[in-house]
Amino acid sequence: MSKSSELEIKNKYTGEVIDTIQADTPESVRDKIKKIYESQHLLNEMDFFERAQHLSKYASKMRFKKKKLKDLIVAEGGLPIKYSEWELNIVLTGFRFCDWYYQFIKDKPLTGIEGEQNVILKYIPHGLSACISPRNTPISLPLYQMGANYLVGNGALVKPSTACPLTMLEAYSTMEDMDLPGLDALNLVIAPGEWAVDEFLKSHLIKIIMTVTSSHTAKDILVRYGRLLKKTADKSMGVAMYTEPFKQFFFECAGNDAGIVMDDVNLEKVAKFNAIASYTNSGQQCFSMKRCIVHQDIYDDYVECLIKEIEKLRYGDPTDPTVDIGPLGSRRILMMMEVMVADAKEYDVKIYTGGDKIDTGEDYGLFYKPTLVEIKPELCENLSTAPFLWREEAFGPVRSITKAKDMKDAIKLANASNYGMRAVVYTSNLNNIEIFKRDLEAANIYINARPMLVDVTIALGGIKDSAYPSGCKYYPQELVYQKYIYDGTPTNLKDIK
Amino acid sequence: MKSSTINEYNEYKTEIVKKYTLFLSQYPEIFSDLISGSIFDFAIYDSLDSYDSGSPIDIFNVLSNGNGIEIKPGKAMDADLELALSVEAVEKLIKTKDREEYARLLGSYFNEPDEENGWIDFMLHKRTQILLDMGYGRFAQAAGILEDEYSK
Repeated sequence: MSKSSELEIKNKYTGEVIDTIQADTPESVRDKIKKIYESQHLLNEMDFFERAQHLSKYASKMRFKKKKLKDLIVAEGGLPIKYSEWELNIVLTGFRFCDWYYQFIKDKPLTGIEGEQNVILKYIPHGLSACISPRNTPISLPLYQMGANYLVGNGALVKPSTACPLTMLEAYSTMEDMDLPGLDALNLVIAPGEWAVDEFLKSHLIKIIMTVTSSHTAKDILVRYGRLLKKTADKSMGVAMYTEPFKQFFFECAGNDAGIVMDDVNLEKVAKFNAIASYTNSGQQCFSMKRCIVHQDIYDDYVECLIKEIEKLRYGDPTDPTVDIGPLGSRRILMMMEVMVADAKEYDVKIYTGGDKIDTGEDYGLFYKPTLVEIKPELCENLSTAPFLWREEAFGPVRSITKAKDMKDAIKLANASNYGMRAVVYTSNLNNIEIFKRDLEAANIYINARPMLVDVTIALGGIKDSAYPSGCKYYPQELVYQKYIYDGTPTNLKDIK
Repeated sequence: MKSSTINEYNEYKTEIVKKYTLFLSQYPEIFSDLISGSIFDFAIYDSLDSYDSGSPIDIFNVLSNGNGIEIKPGKAMDADLELALSVEAVEKLIKTKDREEYARLLGSYFNEPDEENGWIDFMLHKRTQILLDMGYGRFAQAAGILEDEYSK
C-alpha cells in the first residue's frame, strides 16, 4: 500500500469487498499525534473514577451494537461467530468493571523506618501512547489498549491491523456518538506498520509504544529505534551523545504454551479442553495451547481421544454458529503452517490428523486443517536443533504433541522453549501440582483450568521472549510511572522558615 | 429456608412490576449469594431513550436481609447498583417456569440485548471491588450475566 491510498477491506471467507476506507498518510498521522497531545489535558481534568464511569457507560452502549460488531469481526477477521462473542465479551466486561484497577494505581503513603509518614507514592500517566494491534483480534486488543490508556489518563493513538480496521472504526464511532468526554485525546490510525511505526518512533510527543505482535516483529521495532538513536548521535564531545529521548516500550508477544496431561485424569474430558485450547480461532491466539506434553503411560489412549475431538471440529463459513475454525487471517499464516509441517516431516515425525490445506489461490478462504504432529521427546530438548513447530510459535491450527516419563520430565520439556506466556497442567496429584507451580517457566500458570480462561483483571504478560519487559501487557499499572514525593514540611518547616 | 416479603404492594405504579415482584418473591434463593444488607434497584424502562435519560416507568428495590429478601417500591436510599430491564424483557421473564429458565433468559437479554425483543443492563453505584466483596460477582454468574462461550 502506498502512503496515501484507499484501503479495500475484504471478507476473509468470501473475498467480497466489505468496505473501502481512506487510509492515513504520514501527514495525517502527525496531525493526529499533535491533536491528541494537545487534548490530553481533557483526560486529566477528570479523575480516575469519572474516566472509569465513562468507559463503563461506553461498554453498555457497545452491547447494543453487538450484532453489528460481531458481523464485522467475522467478516473482516474471519473469526467464527461463536468466537466473536467471546472476543467482544472479554473487552466489554473489562471496561464495565475497569474501576477495579484503582487498587494498583491509587496513592500509596509510606511509613518510614522511624515512623514518619512523609512519603507518598503517586502514579502518573506517562503520556501519549501509540498502540499497534494484531489482525487476529479485530476489537479486543486494540480497544483494550485504547481503554487502558484512557483509564489512567494517557492520550492514545491506536493502529488496528489494516486487514481488519472496520470493527475498531465502528467502536470509535460509538465513542463519537455518545460524546465520550476527552475523546479528542483518542484516535485511530489506519496505516501499515511498515511506515506507521517509524512515524511513532520519530515523534517526540509519543512517550509509549505498545504492541501486541510476534516477538520478532517486536524486536524489529527495537532495531528501528536503535537505528533512529544512532542517527541522532552527536560525537562533538568525543563520546556519542544521543539526543533522541527514551520511549517506553511495552510488547506483548508470542506464546508457545505447553499443556501437560498426567496419567491421573479423565482423558476424554481433558482432550475436549485440549482441542478447544489448541484450535480455537484456528489456533491464531498467543495463549493457545501449542505444545501438548502427555504422560507416556496414557499417551496412546490420550492421542486417540484428542484426535476424536480434533476431528469433531468443524471448519468453514465463519458465520455458521456451529463452525469452530474460520479462515486463516492471511496467506502468510497458511505458508507458515506449510513450512512448519514440511520442516517437521524432515524429523521423522508422525502426523496424526490434518496436514492438508484448502487454498483458493486468492487471499481469502484459506484454511489449514486442524493438525496434530507427534514430535519425539529427544527432538524437543535442544532448541537449536528442534523442529520449528516445537521451538517457534505456530500461529495457526498446527499443534505438536510429545510424551514425558513423569512430571519432572514434562516440566523439562515444557521449559524447553524461548517463550513463557502461559502453561497448563491437568493432574489430580497434589504433589505434582506443587512441582508445576514451582518449576514451570511461564508468567501465567493454570492448573486444571477450563480452556480459553482469561482473567481480565491481570496482565497476560509473559517471560522470556513472550513479553518485553517481562510480564508486560497493556494494563493500567504499566501505563503510569511511580512518583516518589517526600514532604518534609511537617517535620522541618519550623527549621527552614 | 429463605423467605420473601413484598412491602406496600399497592404502591407499585405498574401492573408489570407487581407481577415481577410476585415472580421474584418465589425465588429468594436467587439472591442467596449476596451478603446481608445488599440492596439494589430494579428499574423498568419502556425504551432505550428513557434508559438514557434515566426515566424508568417503574422502580423497586430488593434488600437481602440474611433470611431472604424484602421487596419495596421506589428507589433505595443507597442502592449498590441498578438493574435496568426493558418492559419486553420483564414480560417474558415472568413467564419462565423455574429459576434455571429465568437465569438463562436473563443472561440472554444481557448477552444479546435487543431494543425490540428485550434487554437488560446494569449501572454500578459502588466500586466494583466493594460489590464483588458483597457477593455480586457470584450473583451475576448465577444469573447468567457473567459468562462467556467457553465457560458453558
